[in-house]
Amino acid sequence: MIDEIVRRQIEDLHTRYIRAIDDDRLEHWPALFTEQCVYKIMTRENYDRGLPLAVMDCRSRGMLEDRVTGLRKINVFEPQRYLHQICGLSIDGIEDGAVRCRSNYLVVRTMAEGAMSIFSAGIYLDRIVLEPSGPRFEERIVIADSRRIDTLLVIPL
Amino acid sequence: MRQYTPGSRTPGDTIVGMKEPLLEWPAVGVTRSPYRVMSDPEIYAQEQQRIFRGPTWNYLCLEAEIPHPGTFRTAFIGETPVIVTRDKEGGIHAMVNRCAHKGAMLCVDPCGKRDTLVCPYHGWAYDLQGKLRGVPFQHGVAGKGGMPDGFDLTQHNLERVHVQSFYGLIFGTFSTTAEPLQTYLGPAMIDHISRVFHKPIEVLGYHHQVLHNNWKLYMENSRDPYHATILHTFYATFKLNRLTMDGGILVDHDGWHSINYSKGATLREGGGEYESGIRSVVEDVGLADPSLIHRKQEFDDGITVAIQSLFPSCVNQQIYNTLALRNVVPQGPLQCELHWTFFGYRDDTPELREMRLKQSNLIGPAGYVSIDDGVIGEYVQRGIAGTGIDASAVMEMGGHEVASTPGSRATEATLRGFWTGYRALMGL
Repeated sequence: MIDEIVRRQIEDLHTRYIRAIDDDRLEHWPALFTEQCVYKIMTRENYDRGLPLAVMDCRSRGMLEDRVTGLRKINVFEPQRYLHQICGLSIDGIEDGAVRCRSNYLVVRTMAEGAMSIFSAGIYLDRIVLEPSGPRFEERIVIADSRRIDTLLVIPL
Repeated sequence: MRQYTPGSRTPGDTIVGMKEPLLEWPAVGVTRSPYRVMSDPEIYAQEQQRIFRGPTWNYLCLEAEIPHPGTFRTAFIGETPVIVTRDKEGGIHAMVNRCAHKGAMLCVDPCGKRDTLVCPYHGWAYDLQGKLRGVPFQHGVAGKGGMPDGFDLTQHNLERVHVQSFYGLIFGTFSTTAEPLQTYLGPAMIDHISRVFHKPIEVLGYHHQVLHNNWKLYMENSRDPYHATILHTFYATFKLNRLTMDGGILVDHDGWHSINYSKGATLREGGGEYESGIRSVVEDVGLADPSLIHRKQEFDDGITVAIQSLFPSCVNQQIYNTLALRNVVPQGPLQCELHWTFFGYRDDTPELREMRLKQSNLIGPAGYVSIDDGVIGEYVQRGIAGTGIDASAVMEMGGHEVASTPGSRATEATLRGFWTGYRALMGL
């Protein structure tokens, strides 16, 4: 049985996740994952057809840190920020010591000049491990409903 | 006045039936391109007719995407929606994805398997070659109504697109006067296609990316070796691609098509080109997980990055072990959509397959290399808003010529080549 305390811990992890991204404290984002984590953003089109290509495909916490380096120091893009809305969290079972969860997300993107749009909507499929120091994502697969990405994707979803 | 025919691509030619040129091209020629071609709706409309419906070959899809009888894939030639099918005998056909009755799109799904193509609106049914086979209520109901006696199904087939397949790439043209595909491509382009598509491939997925810029800004960008190691800081910083590697450009068909390539193992350091505070090299930055850029030398020519740009709108790219086709679909003068088809080979080892997927972080809408291209065309589009009628972009790097330079990539000859093709077809 998943008790209320675990559920609250998982909700808290989700909140810390969106705070790290939406408040532009991305340096805190990798620590929400385990060392040997998987973080992928896939389009529904590829996911449903069993095609393995992801928009972002990280297989270690180091690769998450590199995404932050890329965004801070390397890539050219128009300044922008996200506002995440997350709802519909379900805890779907325990597998190999990890809690399987699913939730919906909606990301509104606002550009430096003020243009605002629904940038992405979809689901999170998570495997969360409960470590003594708190819960962490062992795996987060983001499945974006739209196959289309407007302009570019540089901030993680 | 002379109509364009293959082999007579003289800039300044006008096209029969045209009252006057849509604009005056700068007298200096292809070292300039007027900004107006990036936003003018009338020029955009003419491009659909003269380029995409003109004597060009347009990449449609891969044979691997329609492997069995009855399978289809949708694609675009310019704005025009197209269906590519494989018929029951294995033949490949392409036709406009538009019912001959009222113009409704027949196939909404990007791919699938069908015995016939049936219009959802009134049920007109076509075979996999695009021939009309049946019209509901053709003979009326209870002897009343229906089509007139003389109604001839054979006069209402889907609009045909001529197709040719080359090394598993399917190209299409509307033109009956287009050169044969291989003549259109030219020997250097053919060599490069055969290099990449020499054995069966397997599609690993797709990306679709909306760009808020004219389609030509992306095509210019794709063939521009000058920007590659400057805008794309990731390239130069992590030494994936620098102009101080052996590399060069190859052009074909008067420069309509081009390849720019580099050989990663030949990097020369210490020459000063990338040490003089150039923006593209970020100091004191490393990768926490450098396995991202571990690569396997797949091709014995030593080439590690190669971007082939086929006129008008197709790109065949190899960046390390990432292989992809990119096709630009125009969506009005100020927007286009980039369709990426990412692939490997059918005989890839699991390790090589994983390497390709890990390196896929380099490309696509979130790629360390290609993120920057997602917005740079938009920056140009926004920058040229409101410019005077004579304002033009400047392309003099490497001189004024359009020619292959096997030893150098400090050139914009490939862009001048694009504009050579553009002017010939547009009569500008």
